[in-house]
Amino acid sequence: MKILIIEDESEIAVSIKDYFKPNGVHCEMAGNYKEAMDKINMYDYDCILLDLMLPDGDGFDILKELKLRNKTEGVIIISAKETLDTRIEGFNLGADDYLTKPFHLSELLVRIQALIRRKNFKGNNIITFNEISIDIFAKTVTVNNNTLDITKKEIDLLLFLIGNENKVLSKGAIAEHLSGDMADMLDNHDFVYAHIKNLKKKLSKAGSGDYIKTVYGLGYKWQND
Amino acid sequence: MAWDTNGKMTRKLLNKTTYSFLIYSVIILLIAAPVFYFISQWLYIYETDEVLLFHKGAFAKESKEDFTESDIAAWNKYNRDVEIVGDMGVTKDSIVGKMLFDSIANEKEPFRILYSPVTINGKKFTYIEKSNLVEMEGMVFSIASMFIIIIIILLVGIIILSKRLASKIWKPFYDTLKQIEDFEIDKNKPPHFTPTSIDEFDRLNKSLERLIEKNTAIYKSQREFVENAAHELQTPLALFQTKIDTLSQLPNLTKEHSQLLGSLNNDVSRLNRLNKNLLLLSKIENDSYFEKQPVILNDYIKKHLDFFSEQAKSKSISIVVEFNKPLQINSNPVLTEVLINNLFLNAIRHNSKDGKIIIRTSDKTITFSNTGPETSLNINKLFNRFSKSDPSAQGNGLGLAIVKKIVELNNWNITYNFQDGLHSFTVQFEFSTT
Repeated sequence: MKILIIEDESEIAVSIKDYFKPNGVHCEMAGNYKEAMDKINMYDYDCILLDLMLPDGDGFDILKELKLRNKTEGVIIISAKETLDTRIEGFNLGADDYLTKPFHLSELLVRIQALIRRKNFKGNNIITFNEISIDIFAKTVTVNNNTLDITKKEIDLLLFLIGNENKVLSKGAIAEHLSGDMADMLDNHDFVYAHIKNLKKKLSKAGSGDYIKTVYGLGYKWQND
Repeated sequence: MAWDTNGKMTRKLLNKTTYSFLIYSVIILLIAAPVFYFISQWLYIYETDEVLLFHKGAFAKESKEDFTESDIAAWNKYNRDVEIVGDMGVTKDSIVGKMLFDSIANEKEPFRILYSPVTINGKKFTYIEKSNLVEMEGMVFSIASMFIIIIIILLVGIIILSKRLASKIWKPFYDTLKQIEDFEIDKNKPPHFTPTSIDEFDRLNKSLERLIEKNTAIYKSQREFVENAAHELQTPLALFQTKIDTLSQLPNLTKEHSQLLGSLNNDVSRLNRLNKNLLLLSKIENDSYFEKQPVILNDYIKKHLDFFSEQAKSKSISIVVEFNKPLQINSNPVLTEVLINNLFLNAIRHNSKDGKIIIRTSDKTITFSNTGPETSLNINKLFNRFSKSDPSAQGNGLGLAIVKKIVELNNWNITYNFQDGLHSFTVQFEFSTT
């Protein structure tokens, strides 16, 4: 998987790159409009991360260029701008997703995965991890062909954990992922524990391995050992 | 007439000047009336005495040459008011006032009587002439009533004239006053003063315009500063967040490291929340227009009840929803959601363990009631920014400030009360300020 990070704040770009690398995502970086257009013209990417405020141009112009050239890359806008208007304009110009800064790298990773799944959809809507299979459209989870009685939120949690395989996920990151639009209001992440506990119980009851590790004081980690 | 906030009586400027005139006129009148009475009485008496002396002078000049004793008796017989009597020992003219019985009027009446020495044929006599003063009373009364009529006409004239004139002169002042009363610095509507030809009011208007212009500019830049600052903070916050995420992935983290990272994570998300709330608050303050559309509150709450129940679970709070019929309002959906979310989370955050939340809607109101602290909250500070009833609480003290701003923006009303151990916040939609 190859993505392009168009971001003038190089430290953020490097952090994203370093975080994604172990999960099989190769990142290239562009720090300004010109560099970004050069790379877009030369290579094809699975996904583009786009910051709207660039030193020599507007991120929206890149979206317009992509449309003009019939490029099919999925675009996720990562911006500090948070008005409804910029969001709508971004989507109208062909962006696929919009993530406001600051964000968790884990959140960005699963958003990219979901976007690529949507883009490369070839009748395959099943995600498998060892004995676990998740049908994204039917919203079902099976372990060794046994269907689990599982809530939508637990499937969401499971996808988030698997998508961030081998990553330590803070309770806050999980809480924000599960709460969606409401995340900004939350000041209590205790409910994450209950969800993790239930998911763990359901998976192990169905005969799955114990992949969810607790990282003391920090959060959880999906690990295949 | 009106009462100001201290319970002190306030009076309109126009009335105040008129009252002063009136009071002055009444005092002058009260002093002038008796003085006038006495002066006119004195004048009348003086004139009467003059007439008496004149008569006597004429008598002495014309009649005494050929007067005989018998003439005197005849004179006395046919003259009602003049009498010649034997010398009474009067050496010079003297006039006295006396009450005498008047045979015609058949009662006692005031008289002026002149006693004067006269010599007829070398013999000394006393000349007595009396003059009835009864006409004086009538005259004084007619003068007094004329006086009163003139005074009344004068007073009424003063009142009407001063009111007319003053209200004309002070009109620009009242225009200005009305403009300032309607002026609110956080609304984008500077006052427009009507031009006036009166120098003082023109100066007043110009100074006010300058003052308002300057303050609005300061207020605006202050507001923009908050928005800009919050905006600028987002990039370093993003860096902070991604670096913590990266740091968390380092192998061989000890328990202490993880714990530190965990609490750092909480700090950064708290900072983030604070920043977003500040942004939202300044956005509500700075943007004057938000698109409105119908929102059904009951549906929104029902849709997100799971989310809130989840948040309430750790405190074992039970949530009771009492909806009679759909409550539909016309407002900006995003802001309305923020309003409901803040009130709901507020009711969870400040609740006690095993507590209760009751959400009730009526025709045009929604009420969030929750158990919690045993005492009523300080209503004066409740909606202020960064005012926290419990300093150790997780919230950032902006939730209710945001609620209040949204309520104000829509011209709604929010009230708080504490009754039977329940803290209740009621939002009244379509609130009219009559």
